[in-house]
Amino acid sequence: MWQYAISRILQASVVIVAVTLITFLTLHMSGDPTYLYVSERASEREIAQVRERLGFDRPLHVQYLSFLGGLVQGDTGRSLTYRTSAMDVVLERLPATIELTIMAMLIAVTFAIPLGIVAALNRGTAIDGGIMALAMFGQSIPSFWLGIMLILFVGLGLSWLPISGHVPVIEPLLKGDLERAWSNLPNALRYLIMPAFTISLFSLSRNARLVRSSMLEVLSQDFVRTARSKGLKERAVVIRHALRNAWMPVVTMLGLEFGFLLSGVVVVETVFSWPGVGRLVFNAINQRDIPLVQSAVVVFALVFVTLNLVVDVLYARLDPRVRLS
Amino acid sequence: MTPPSVAQTVVTGPSRTPAPRRDAWRRAWRSLTKAVWPLLAIVVLLIITVAAFAGPAIAPKDPNRQNIINRLQPPMQVDRAGVVQHYLGTDALGRDVLSRLIYGARVSLLVGFTAVFIGGALGVVLGMTAGFVGGRIDAFIMRLADIQLAFPFILLAIMFLVVLGSGVLNLVLILGIGQWVTYARIARAQTMSQREKEYVEAALALGARRASVLFKTILPNILAPLIVIASFNVASVILAEAALSFLGLGVPPTVPTWGGMLAESRDQLLAGRWWLAVYPGVAIMLTVLAFNILGDWLRDFLDPRLRGVD
Amino acid sequence: MAIRSLVIALALGLSLAFQAFAQAPDANTLVVAQSVDASKLDPADTGSRPEANIAAHLWGTLVQTTSDGDIVPYFAETWTTNDTGTEITFRMVPGLQCHDGEPLTAIDAAYSFNRAKDPELAFTGNTPGFIFASLGFVEARADSDLDVTIVMEQRNPIALGLIGEVFIHCMDSYMAMSKDEAADNPVGSGPYRFIEWIKDDRIVLERVADYPFAVEGAFERIVWRVIPEASTRAAELMDGNVDIVANVSPDQAATIDASGRATVQAVAGTRRIYVGFNLRDEFAASHDNPIAIEAINNVLVRRAMNHAVDVETICTQLLGTDCERATGLVNPPNDPPDLEPYAFDPEGAERLLDEAGYPRGADGVRFSIRLQSPNNRYLNDANVALAVGQYLSDVGVQTDVDLLDFSSVYVPLIIGGNMAGPLFLLGSGGATWNALYDMADLSRVDAGTNYTGWDNPDWFSGWDRIAATTDEAEQRVIVNEMLQVFYDDAPWLMMYFQPDFYGVSTRIDWDARRDEKVIVTDATLR
Repeated sequence: MWQYAISRILQASVVIVAVTLITFLTLHMSGDPTYLYVSERASEREIAQVRERLGFDRPLHVQYLSFLGGLVQGDTGRSLTYRTSAMDVVLERLPATIELTIMAMLIAVTFAIPLGIVAALNRGTAIDGGIMALAMFGQSIPSFWLGIMLILFVGLGLSWLPISGHVPVIEPLLKGDLERAWSNLPNALRYLIMPAFTISLFSLSRNARLVRSSMLEVLSQDFVRTARSKGLKERAVVIRHALRNAWMPVVTMLGLEFGFLLSGVVVVETVFSWPGVGRLVFNAINQRDIPLVQSAVVVFALVFVTLNLVVDVLYARLDPRVRLS
Repeated sequence: MTPPSVAQTVVTGPSRTPAPRRDAWRRAWRSLTKAVWPLLAIVVLLIITVAAFAGPAIAPKDPNRQNIINRLQPPMQVDRAGVVQHYLGTDALGRDVLSRLIYGARVSLLVGFTAVFIGGALGVVLGMTAGFVGGRIDAFIMRLADIQLAFPFILLAIMFLVVLGSGVLNLVLILGIGQWVTYARIARAQTMSQREKEYVEAALALGARRASVLFKTILPNILAPLIVIASFNVASVILAEAALSFLGLGVPPTVPTWGGMLAESRDQLLAGRWWLAVYPGVAIMLTVLAFNILGDWLRDFLDPRLRGVD
Repeated sequence: MAIRSLVIALALGLSLAFQAFAQAPDANTLVVAQSVDASKLDPADTGSRPEANIAAHLWGTLVQTTSDGDIVPYFAETWTTNDTGTEITFRMVPGLQCHDGEPLTAIDAAYSFNRAKDPELAFTGNTPGFIFASLGFVEARADSDLDVTIVMEQRNPIALGLIGEVFIHCMDSYMAMSKDEAADNPVGSGPYRFIEWIKDDRIVLERVADYPFAVEGAFERIVWRVIPEASTRAAELMDGNVDIVANVSPDQAATIDASGRATVQAVAGTRRIYVGFNLRDEFAASHDNPIAIEAINNVLVRRAMNHAVDVETICTQLLGTDCERATGLVNPPNDPPDLEPYAFDPEGAERLLDEAGYPRGADGVRFSIRLQSPNNRYLNDANVALAVGQYLSDVGVQTDVDLLDFSSVYVPLIIGGNMAGPLFLLGSGGATWNALYDMADLSRVDAGTNYTGWDNPDWFSGWDRIAATTDEAEQRVIVNEMLQVFYDDAPWLMMYFQPDFYGVSTRIDWDARRDEKVIVTDATLR
């Protein structure tokens, strides 16, 4: 077990060093970021002063090593645009993005499983065809377009849901303000539905197809047939035997899913004015706010590594044949 | 680079291809004559491909020719002479939507196929090497995959495109690089299982070079699942191109693409100028649908074990 | 069973969520939507326009520029200038205080100026970077509790307008904070006090009780929301959740007007949009298209290009409003009265190009050239650049339009060595209150804002002649002569003064300003 833990930590460190190095090199590739932090009337001398103060006059390897040195102590430097700790700026936005991705993941899984099962149980019928057609449809709509259409029809036209914005839940929770978190919850959910659905539609559709096919496979296997022949009710067969086994591919997907949903976050946060990390990091890249981009990249990598660990452990739990090694 | 040609190399593939595999292709071909949806999908893709190749010949107008006095005209508008100038209307610069749609097919497909080809080639080479050689090289390549996965694709794409500038080549490169892990994982697993097979051992024993065994003997036998993945992938690449266009990182506006057209329509939706969004939207949808249907169908025939992977 | 309960729970949740939703602001709250958030709220270091808008409600200034361009007293009641024009002394209103209760005196006013220039703090925002550079700021000193003197390198006819942009804050509170702490702990001195800031979401301000310059009927609270996407901003406005929206897309104006919930105000802005000809030798040496370089260095070609572009049509079609074509770099009404804008005359342009020695080739092309433009920085900039490219191509100048991200690519290209071009689209902030303010872009050949590198001595020698006289009428004569030189030599392809579109809710009374500032202290409930 210890060996497993140590090897995992080592792997994670390698990943983090690599992603930060790639980020660092890429952002420096387009030339000197100093020009983004001087006024348009700045003289050569002023530009040189700013360059020195921001540390961009040092050789690249020195800059990167000093970043790594800070990283070991948990310090990713100060954001150039926000002038405060870059990691704090990222962590401040993280709860909103986590809310969005968790909700999206919930939608992607909770709707996909019943839809997939219903389709599998009605294989070849109009129900199956309808669900699969919807799923295909859902996999072919760009998220920004879906988002704008939802805003115009559901938000503006029907006034069912708020058009844009965010009500926090995780943030008060983290601050220990349970009461505010609880009272915010109903409103927070309203604000969450449209953006979360927009992000999740692609995954939802894919997962529905995934569940359907793994369900079909499980239903055709011996142990299900045995269960059926023992006279168990169809519903019991589905729930007790088939469903448990159909979970596996979905669990496998979950680890990758997060990264995928995160990719959708940049676009959806922009469309729905969601104050999250996606928009932050997009602006930070445009502004060449290197410490800020680095902090976000480190956070994303950590989330990814952790999630994969969770998936591995879950997997080992669900399937006794899998052992952690 | 188009699916038919890939399929062909497999069908007429090297003589060492085991018989059952070839049967699968044949069965697939035969079933196509009965299955309605895959057939429709192929017809749709053929039409789009023709549009892509014959663009200049069939497009009624120059797709970049502006006429800002005639901007934002709805479809089928009749001019003073009683002639319909723009069947699908005009965009915010008065450019002909139909012509842009036709030229857009070219770039969208080019981007889709090339990106998938780059990602596929990279992934297959790395994955097969990892699976065949094993040991440290395997560990190294798999670590590379971890790093790639820990990097949300959109971040990597934004960074590269912001820094290198957006253009068709950069777009294709980054979209391709974003795909390789999927192919590498499958190629690696498949190669590992094939390596133990007799025909591979026989080839090695006969003194064939390892590279030649890898790519001439093993590759044809593991191609099927990869092609299935690729067909799903073309669809997601086309969507990714649209998302990047929305963020202002797509191809330049003088190069019409469906994703770019859809992104340009965003400010016009509120005012109800539906034609700017609906036509490119439907084009994307049809293409993505066609590739997905095709992928489903290929999978059922080529590799039922892959069910659900996309 | 699990599935059924799940479905029921979901249905319940949805029915709860889908109840008709109302979130309209109350009668005491005004909601303003901008496309980006402030990144810091330090009075000495505001950078972007949205940031400065919020700052203008948190902090007062010595004098104010009204929406008509008049300079009026604010924290300062009166002011006097010394004989050489290098020192202006302001007499401040007694009894002012900052929001933490600290009295605000001339010492604080002097501190506010000097803090922005402090090399230790090394701010790069608008005040040290633009205002002080334009002002020739030397130092500020407090002569007494109420008298503060601003010292400049030389007489500056636009000094008051520039000084009116410097936010006054209290010394004790800011001395107690580090530079980083000051970034998000604003201690104000203006009409509204800081309440909360949820980054990338909203900033909430509350009206200061007993504020000496309070406007009757002003809103109790202002919420500054951040809504990046234009369609989302318009939807929120039409749904009644937002009262004022900056940067409305002109193509959405008719729909917003038709909603009955809001109207769109179009104002003639002062930002000068032009296409510059990069005339610099360094650029010429490195550019790979020598024919284009040679061509734009020919004044006939530059005039021809001015004649080739139909600016009026670009305005009505792409900017959704009529606008008068610029005759030069000075905003009306300060532009010379007898200059006529270049007429749209493609045939004339072709004749000029022939005359200049660039006949059409067999393919109809005279020469090809690149036009670089920012994307999404100015109103419809990308489409305007593409349209300009089409007009130029129409007269045989094959123009390839290259759209670039403003902050990450375009700015470094422009500031870091002026390597944009040969044609580049740019918008330069202007003013209505003095021709010299607009002309200051070209104050010296090596001025940072002389992006084209234009060096016509007839223009640049004009500055000394202006400085030699204090008589405004004489100055005006020289100004008109200089502007004639600019017009004839055409270092810019002159376009238009950018119109600005604001969406305003029908529940409030508010008039948008011409200078891109969103000041809502005088907004009232209808």
